[in-house]
Amino acid sequence: MTTLEAARAVGPGLDRVDAPMKVTGKAHYPNDFGYPGLVHAALVHSTVAAGRIRGIDTSAAETAPGVQAVITHLTAPRLEPGPMTLLGASPPTPFQDDRILHHGQHIAIVVASSPEQARHAASLVRVDYERSEPLLDVHDPRATVVENPWGLDSDRGDVDAGFAAADVVVGGTFTTPDNTNNPLGLMSTVASWNGDSLTVHDSTQWPHNVRATLAAVFKVPESGIRVLAPYVGGGFGAGLRVWPHVILTVLAARQVGKPVKLVLTRPEMFTSVGHRPDSVQQIRIGATRAGDLTAITHEGLSSVAMEDDDYEPVSLCSAVSYACPNVRTQDRQVRLNIPCPGSMRGPAEGQGNFALESALDELAHELGMDPVELRLRNYCEEHPLLGLPWSSKALRDCYLQGAERFGWSRRDPRPGSMRDGRWLVGYGMAGVSYPHYQVPCQARASLHRDGSADVRSAATDIGTGTYTIMTQLSAEQLGLDVSRVHFDLGDSDMPYAPQAGGSGLTSALGNAVGAACRNLIREFLDVVKDDADSPLRGAAPDEVSVSGGRIHRTGAPDQGESYTDILTRHGLEELSADGRSTPPQPDGGGMATAGAFGAKFVEVRVDPDLGLLRVARVVSAIDGGRILNEKTATSQIVGGTVGGIGQAMFEETATDPGTGRIANATFGDYLVAVNADVPDMEVIFVGGPDRATPIGTKGVGEVGLVGVAAAVANAVHHATGRRIRSLPITIDQLL
Amino acid sequence: MHPFEYVRATDSDQAVAVVTEDPSASYLAGGTTQLDLMKDGVLDPDRLVDITRLPLGGISHTDSSIRVGALTTMEELAADPVVRERLPFVWEALLLGASTQLRNMATIGGNLLQRARCRYFRDPTVAACNKRSPGSGCAAIAGIQRMHAILGTSDHCIALHASDVAVPLTALDALLHVQGADGTRTVPLTQFYLPPGDTPHIENVLRHGELITAVEIPLLPAAARSHYIKVRDRVSYEFALTSAGVALVQEDGVIREARVALGGVGTVPWRAWDAEDVLRDAPAGADTFLAAARAALGGARPLPGTAFKVELAQRTLIRTLETVAGAES
Repeated sequence: MTTLEAARAVGPGLDRVDAPMKVTGKAHYPNDFGYPGLVHAALVHSTVAAGRIRGIDTSAAETAPGVQAVITHLTAPRLEPGPMTLLGASPPTPFQDDRILHHGQHIAIVVASSPEQARHAASLVRVDYERSEPLLDVHDPRATVVENPWGLDSDRGDVDAGFAAADVVVGGTFTTPDNTNNPLGLMSTVASWNGDSLTVHDSTQWPHNVRATLAAVFKVPESGIRVLAPYVGGGFGAGLRVWPHVILTVLAARQVGKPVKLVLTRPEMFTSVGHRPDSVQQIRIGATRAGDLTAITHEGLSSVAMEDDDYEPVSLCSAVSYACPNVRTQDRQVRLNIPCPGSMRGPAEGQGNFALESALDELAHELGMDPVELRLRNYCEEHPLLGLPWSSKALRDCYLQGAERFGWSRRDPRPGSMRDGRWLVGYGMAGVSYPHYQVPCQARASLHRDGSADVRSAATDIGTGTYTIMTQLSAEQLGLDVSRVHFDLGDSDMPYAPQAGGSGLTSALGNAVGAACRNLIREFLDVVKDDADSPLRGAAPDEVSVSGGRIHRTGAPDQGESYTDILTRHGLEELSADGRSTPPQPDGGGMATAGAFGAKFVEVRVDPDLGLLRVARVVSAIDGGRILNEKTATSQIVGGTVGGIGQAMFEETATDPGTGRIANATFGDYLVAVNADVPDMEVIFVGGPDRATPIGTKGVGEVGLVGVAAAVANAVHHATGRRIRSLPITIDQLL
Repeated sequence: MHPFEYVRATDSDQAVAVVTEDPSASYLAGGTTQLDLMKDGVLDPDRLVDITRLPLGGISHTDSSIRVGALTTMEELAADPVVRERLPFVWEALLLGASTQLRNMATIGGNLLQRARCRYFRDPTVAACNKRSPGSGCAAIAGIQRMHAILGTSDHCIALHASDVAVPLTALDALLHVQGADGTRTVPLTQFYLPPGDTPHIENVLRHGELITAVEIPLLPAAARSHYIKVRDRVSYEFALTSAGVALVQEDGVIREARVALGGVGTVPWRAWDAEDVLRDAPAGADTFLAAARAALGGARPLPGTAFKVELAQRTLIRTLETVAGAES
């Protein structure tokens, strides 16, 4: 392998390379795009949660000013289902029949000359429903229950014997509510047809998925479809799937023969682009008096839409996080008349970790053992299901260094024992073992005669820092200054990239970029292999190093030459190479591929009279493998922590019990953490490169959120003696 | 949004005449409530009469009161030194009431006329709302109740009045100066709002076309102390679950004068007359405060989702009384 001598491009906190574009307004988000003749769409939604459309009167809408088309299930053409994807089946194709499956379901799309005209006309559509009684509650006995939806239920050892051997058993029912992703950027689609070819600007986390889905749904060749998403206003998972509104915008553009733009409203963001489903979890943990875990059972129940899938194995974390011989985990989903759930930052883990890490805190309290010590005592050096050593695991360092930085030793374990004036003070912590995820990815690297490089892949940067870290990584791999590298993404005409999701993109893309860069150097060596004028003649890739825009023989910096010299002498404008990455196989390397690990330490203040809860500070200690950019990685953890505070204290999508209407679908009613709620947050990275891939990274997009809710709840218990088992933790629970 | 005609008023008489004659016309001031509700399809005036150019701003002072033009923004009122020095709980309620951006747009007249934050009122897809469609029912009573009122409710409406600054202004017996087609009149704020009863769509005593031109706020005695406490789910940018505005004049540990009003609990800004009766001439202390708090919430009609507010409102009032009385550092 080519030796990298100038590794300074990676690691330090390089400012985001896209920041100047963003702060000067030159970064164009999907809804910034326009076309000559562009018209605007607005959606009409079902105001019942179950039933059929008996009649739909669009006459007033059709004659309203500026209206060009009103499309309903009665006028829409037959469209095909979307394809199976890495994330499961596509959401149901819209407008194919008269059935209503949830409140807020799109039932008409109106196209008009202006957005205002479209919205007004949409309000004029009259619908006659044949109502059915909706199923809205996971405990409704009439609802269909899907057992073991992903085949991930696990059972090892003998849990009955394990509980029989336990000196202490703790646990109970934990509940988490629906949460809504709510990226700041309203999801937008701009669609423009030209014959059978189609250009789409979309707020997606996965351009290739949009392309493949639209090709399947509209039965046109993928080669004619281009999906662009160079900048996306956040996602948190909401952009992972091709939701019905995307298909409807493309359909509308074809029907009116003009480019169409649709920007979802904030209330529509609650019903149209997924949400974290609620959960009801039963967890029991048994342990010996000495603190050795003897048994864990964890059962999760989540809601799912009537005719859609969602991956939320909430109990799985209990099977893979600790050394315990007897563990049974089980998940079920209940089909309800609700908007389709979907991945939201830390899907499943965000819910399951709250139950697991709360119950462990309860166990530590019952045992009179320090919560950190309990976790260290049951530390698993091997993956509990695979029996293989982890490709990397510095969770012990997360616990120890996090505790040190936080000042955990100052914690008096007695609940209610620490005060600051009127405020009760609580310290709480939680551990996180985030699952590994990686799927195939491709990239292409080109070096030009002027010594600059272009590297590209159809990935997205949803605010995570992908542009920046891939620029750094490319610079490192090619021995260039970061200013000489241009990394481009967000275009389905570029080499295939998977979704920005599952904390999997950095490793997938990073290893593809690494491979492309290595292949590119090989191309250069191939060009000069018989070149008598080249000091690199005959050199093999493992005999050279790159630095300063040059390739040279390792250990002999003067025996080399620049990319520019090679290209110039051989009359070449540029050289390019492709690279691909595939996920490491767990058994192939004799190790279990590891995701990120983390330990969260939280201090809270509780005013017991008024029930006020404030998070005073958070320390996150993270093992994210090799950190490509400490600044953007820290931002990921900080942002995740803010999301975790929201999950812990504020966020709850409220569904009206009778109607299935989302009752708080605005930013005034659905509370997220605001600046005043966000405390001092400290992030430390521990560990080193992961062994499973050449680049050595592990994703850090989600590990920042997971564990915060449990750590807050555990801190609340420490402050007040109250064990809160239901999120969010609100004033009424603390009175 | 329903299409509408926009009219910019040039003088008050003309504005009042236009709106009075047109049942489908509304005034537009800061727009922070009006435009939201129009965009959401809750309000659909055919004509908006913009009064922001009328000379209804400005704050003037006398020895005993301040007169605040109705178009004075919340931020301008909060910046008035007399408000800060003599009416600290008004100042606090203004700052806690909205973000800086909103305070710079929202007018004091508009604030007092803000509509319910009820999630059922604000979504026209909800059929049952007596406030929006008289006689249609109240979906909130059977719905998610947490942000609703426990005082002054009826079987027809439980919507809360969410203004913060109206709480201390109610405690202070502020006066509203109103201009109508037939002339001007003065309405005490304590008599301005109407409980929902069986007509929740009638929220105050204004007749269609009447315009608030000024708010007259009596000053507290120099010896008074006051405070406003707002309890809410997040630290800022959120309406009150409960709030309390208290002004006391004490003499040798005895309360001589008490003004108490509550927010977050009433269908109207809630003057706690019973609590004032308990406090007046009573020793400032825990027993008195508890008795006052119980008296203030004596008429509460909680639902399961608002039951916690009875206790929380009492504790909020006690904390506010303690703070004003100096019992707490």
